[in-house]
Amino acid sequence: MVPFFKWLGKIIGRSGDMAAGYSLKPGDPGYEEQRALTSQLDKNLKILTDIFRLCDDLIIREIIIGRGKQQVRAAIIYLDPLINYSQLQQSLMRSLLAVEELPRPGISADWLLKKVLGNGSVSEEEKWVEVSDGINRGAVCLLLEGLNKALLVKTREKTSRPVGQPVTETVFRGPSDAFVEDVRTNLALLRKRLPTSRLAVEDLEVGEITKTKIKLVYLKGYVIDGLVAEIKERLRRIKIDGIVGSGQVEELIEDCPYSPFSTCEATERPDKLAANILEGRAALVFDNTPFALLMPVTLAAQIQSPQDYYERYWYSSFIRLLRWVSLLIALLGPSLYIAVITFHHELLPTSLLMSIIIAREGIPLPAFAEALLMELIFEVLREAGLRLPRAFGQTISIVGAIVIGQTAVNAGLASPAMVIVVSLTAIATFTIPSPSMANSIRILRFPLMVFAASFGLIGLLLAASVLTSHLCSLRSFGVPFLSPLAPLTFSDLKDTLIRAPSWKMRLRPRLTGYADPQRQNAGIKPRPPVVKGKTSVKRRGKK
Amino acid sequence: MLDRGRISSVQLLLLLIIVDAATAFLFGPTAAIQLAGRDSWLSVSVIASAFGLAVALVCIALARRFSQQVFTAYLPQILGKIPGKILAAAYAAVFIHYTAVILNQGSTFIHVAFLRDTPPMILDIIAILAVIYAVYLGIEVIARQNEIVWPVWILSLVVIFILAAKEINPHNLKPFLENGIMPVLKGGLLICPFRGEVFILLMLFPYLNQKQEAIKTAGYFLLAQTVVPALIAATIVGVFGDVVPAALAFPAYNLARYISVAQFLERIQVLIVVMWMAGVIIKATVFFHSAAVAAASTLGLKNYQVTVLPIAVAVVAISKVFYGTHLQLTDFLFKIWPYYGFAVELLIPAVILLIAIIRKKGGKNKP
Repeated sequence: MVPFFKWLGKIIGRSGDMAAGYSLKPGDPGYEEQRALTSQLDKNLKILTDIFRLCDDLIIREIIIGRGKQQVRAAIIYLDPLINYSQLQQSLMRSLLAVEELPRPGISADWLLKKVLGNGSVSEEEKWVEVSDGINRGAVCLLLEGLNKALLVKTREKTSRPVGQPVTETVFRGPSDAFVEDVRTNLALLRKRLPTSRLAVEDLEVGEITKTKIKLVYLKGYVIDGLVAEIKERLRRIKIDGIVGSGQVEELIEDCPYSPFSTCEATERPDKLAANILEGRAALVFDNTPFALLMPVTLAAQIQSPQDYYERYWYSSFIRLLRWVSLLIALLGPSLYIAVITFHHELLPTSLLMSIIIAREGIPLPAFAEALLMELIFEVLREAGLRLPRAFGQTISIVGAIVIGQTAVNAGLASPAMVIVVSLTAIATFTIPSPSMANSIRILRFPLMVFAASFGLIGLLLAASVLTSHLCSLRSFGVPFLSPLAPLTFSDLKDTLIRAPSWKMRLRPRLTGYADPQRQNAGIKPRPPVVKGKTSVKRRGKK
Repeated sequence: MLDRGRISSVQLLLLLIIVDAATAFLFGPTAAIQLAGRDSWLSVSVIASAFGLAVALVCIALARRFSQQVFTAYLPQILGKIPGKILAAAYAAVFIHYTAVILNQGSTFIHVAFLRDTPPMILDIIAILAVIYAVYLGIEVIARQNEIVWPVWILSLVVIFILAAKEINPHNLKPFLENGIMPVLKGGLLICPFRGEVFILLMLFPYLNQKQEAIKTAGYFLLAQTVVPALIAATIVGVFGDVVPAALAFPAYNLARYISVAQFLERIQVLIVVMWMAGVIIKATVFFHSAAVAAASTLGLKNYQVTVLPIAVAVVAISKVFYGTHLQLTDFLFKIWPYYGFAVELLIPAVILLIAIIRKKGGKNKP
């Protein structure tokens, strides 16, 4: 029985195991699709209307090609919302109706393709599966009397918005185009940046119903061989009805599904994608979502922002260090405060301690409950700011924070020090360039607070130790998540804690780029032009 | 092999240093200063390191003969099946016991130093949870975690040196060798088992990805461990003289309490203790991992993770029952451990190496 279904699966163009689950009876949706086209137009049209009997937006237009005795009946079929009228008119209808004389041996698909149809993308199909799939994807189907093939002409209406600005990853200086919901546009943005035939683009499709187009892109020779095969293997394992966003795919191909950290990075910036592909990473570009997925990704990579490479390296290094510190503040801020206030008063200088204690005098809640309350209020505000229509969003969240912060202090619910800590933590969280990383940090703050409240700094240490173990064990497509730090790769520190000048970045990151380690020549550091008789000549002579 | 992890020689070096030093500089100086007085820096460095060198050489020589196996796995090949298994079981017990002692050193220190109302057992239990998780994840993760912890840990020591430097009175260290060499030797013998903890190499060697680097790594390790403890002991004597620290439970902790910069950076001992404890956790994790692997290989199990929970219970129980108080712990450390440690760290491995050489077991001089 099983080989039969596998064979059937091959016939209907689906994967064998899905078809093995059920067998189609006459009348089932999809039953007709198993068959091949006939050469009678009326019969074909009947089958087609049967396949699309639930779709009122299917348009069938019958026309006649040629004149006099030679004339041939034909039909044009399409789904109304998906096609582009002007293209349909200009290139298809007009050229078909303009045909005066048909060739001697009778009409053939080949003749139509070569002589009549002026469209870029035309394909001929013999099976109903392919035909209905093409119509569903916005192709115009042309059926002819006496021809057991259908011609599918792609005249797809662009339903995507134009290329816009990145919403989640803004930079000060640098390109400001972002991916959109159309995979062709996205690939165009990428190809424009990497105009080379080494840029491999592999077509993949996920989702039985949505048939989401996913393009696996990488630079041949730069990427490690195993990586591409591994990504494809993981995508192949996905058997699902539909994919509507890149986040779903991310969760389905991760190394460590239970981790609070994401091991793929979503980005909507083509420049970031291009730079990462140049470092030997691979990416998935999606149809219907502006977020591409980068892999493998490390913690250090999620601290990098494209801006770092567009600004001067001194400033970028400073900002990079600042971001690491912010990461620690975002993670440990409230729990450190709780630990110090609850257990280790002596750590604070006396005068500061006095003022904090005086401010806390009327507060009815212990520090932990106070911190928890304020953190939760902040998270609620943030979420509300995100959900609100954009016009209100920011205003309301800021006003809400100030009003609630202020009144909470006045009402004696929270101490001013607590408000400072919470707002500092919140601001620090926003400095993390990767939104998914920031979200992981947000979540982890709460268990750390519990440990700090129970055992003070020691509890915090133990919780942090568990967290470090977890981070050390995490891998993203085989690359350790903490990679240039642990395991330590000394040469990669140049782009981790600081951002070394561009002329120093001779080698690609070791764990992703070892297929072709050298990025640039040595000694491209700019130097002033040589003037005779000046000291610079001497220096050069020595070399 | 039970754990398929691989560690580099640098990772091994950092692991060995933390394994050796994390608890030694808390408990060691008092005993050394009691016996050796102002020359104690010599006993904690040179004398102890000489012992450490002997242990490291024996262990590496033995491990090289069976470079793909852990100690407990090749014991039956050397001694024959039954005596080998018995000794392997004994060593599994030794590692469990060491883990308990290390954990207890950490919890005792915290209990005595500042969390006086928290029973040490509670501290043991929460600490072992962190340890268990790391042990489950394997030696590679432990080595990487150590790479993160190590800078933090060493920073605490550097901070103490820098900030306590102005309090050091060099005259406290003179006269040199006033009472001859004997007190220095005696003080050193007490520190030897701490340094001898490098015998963990027996269990870590197979994970090393470049086996020929083992000797060099051990050399660097001993060099570091000659300099750092000497500095700590000398600083303690330099700041407190040789009478006061002999009566202090944890002179290094008192050193941290001594720090005061511009009336702002003071009483930061808690932060420093926390950094030290990060080292103790790693140390306990390494020994726990070895205990788990030793037990699993003795019992012939397919994976060592099974043994983790029973061992955790045993560790907490041993820590509670045998070393319930600070006094019981120091009694063990300085009255029993010098003999016991000498036996399990040097004597037994040396005898086994001898037997292996005589019976021609294992590959000869393979890197």
